[in-house]
Amino acid sequence: MASDAKKVIAARAARELEDGQIINLGIGLPTLIANYVPEGIDVVIQTENGAVGVGPAPDPGCEDRDRANAGNQPITLIPGGSYFDSATSFGMIRGGHIDATFLGTLQVDEQGNIANWIVPGKMLAGMGGAMDLITGAKVVYIVSEHCSKDGASKLMKQCTFPLTGAEEADVVITERALFRRYPERGWVLEEIAAGYTLDDIAACTDMAYTVADDVKFDAYGAD
Amino acid sequence: MPKNKVVPIEEAMSRIKSGMSIAIGGFIGQGDPLTLIDHLKTMDVGDLTIYENDAGFRDRGTVELVKQGKVKKIVASHIGTTPEIGKAMNEGRLEVEPTPQGTLAEMMRSGGAGLGGFLTPTGIGTVAEEGKQIVELEGRKYILVPSVRCDVALIRAHAGDTWGNLIYRGTSRNFNVPAATCADYVVAEVENLYTMGELDPNAIHTSGIFVDAVVRANIDYCVIREEVFNGQ
Repeated sequence: MASDAKKVIAARAARELEDGQIINLGIGLPTLIANYVPEGIDVVIQTENGAVGVGPAPDPGCEDRDRANAGNQPITLIPGGSYFDSATSFGMIRGGHIDATFLGTLQVDEQGNIANWIVPGKMLAGMGGAMDLITGAKVVYIVSEHCSKDGASKLMKQCTFPLTGAEEADVVITERALFRRYPERGWVLEEIAAGYTLDDIAACTDMAYTVADDVKFDAYGAD
Repeated sequence: MPKNKVVPIEEAMSRIKSGMSIAIGGFIGQGDPLTLIDHLKTMDVGDLTIYENDAGFRDRGTVELVKQGKVKKIVASHIGTTPEIGKAMNEGRLEVEPTPQGTLAEMMRSGGAGLGGFLTPTGIGTVAEEGKQIVELEGRKYILVPSVRCDVALIRAHAGDTWGNLIYRGTSRNFNVPAATCADYVVAEVENLYTMGELDPNAIHTSGIFVDAVVRANIDYCVIREEVFNGQ
């Protein structure tokens, strides 16, 4: 089951979606975003293993062995959806045909660097399709809990793990705050979730940022 | 009349020798050629280099060949679904070359299309650059990635005719398409075998031109996939 923090992040991320967008959702937390798509917003979900038009999860017993997402979870396909091979799929991704990608992370930093595929000496999952998605998608959303399990900020001055993408993160959404990165201003704190103050965010954020003049308090996560 | 390429699995797989490179289709169990991998498990070969998106799922797939010590190196985008791979790597039993998924797919596709390599923006500013030439075109940096050609490719399709025209189903298409093109000898296992002329020419995903041997798939793949879905 997803934690409350993950649900808060997914729900806020879903409010970023625009009608008609083609999006790709990473494995884990980002997949939850599909559960919170606002009414009146129609998005088309691409999964990099080779389908576009991913629909709701199938009912138990109705799984199709040849219909799964990149996380190996069973999927359905909406009318208009289609399948393709991996070379075609990554042509779509690198070719700029994906409007937004939502990815979890281990670290993200001041320059917009993203590190989410390896913990040296400990875990090597592999980058999968993340490097291509980060490079090719028009907008790169990092959706992640604010701190790692040991309490350290994931929003760092400088990533210490090997990068998945350099200067590619556009928006960071955590259970505590939302930051956007602008070419000249860098990271800007635009929203603070219910239950947190400016000081709270400052205390758990290592990367430099400025606070938007119209920063929103209690912006999300209240229910 | 195109040649009938249906052969016993022993004959098709006898082309594989120690030290060879093998491209394998599939995606963490979706469309993995498990019949052929199971046969490879019974063969006395080693020092294999595998090009595949991943090593299978949990303890099923290429990971089994790694456990047997048959694999020297694996070039893959994701090994997180098979814990044994990370263990084998840390213990020095296996070399792993992590490669971005789109780059790996394109290495196979371009290798099969007779190209020497390609320029990709993926991985600029990361370790994917290491040891590679960087080319700048119109102000954007690209990594020059050499294509890959393998000795053998192992793939799986939902339907195939006796010449090796193939049709995949759902998300099981994935790496089977590019893998089918990039090897000197391509073995396809098919779930449903048809005579020539029975498959709609408009619906063929992989032309028989790429395929050298056709083998009947004999794994109860449905059961395996259901176990995966029910286990998560």
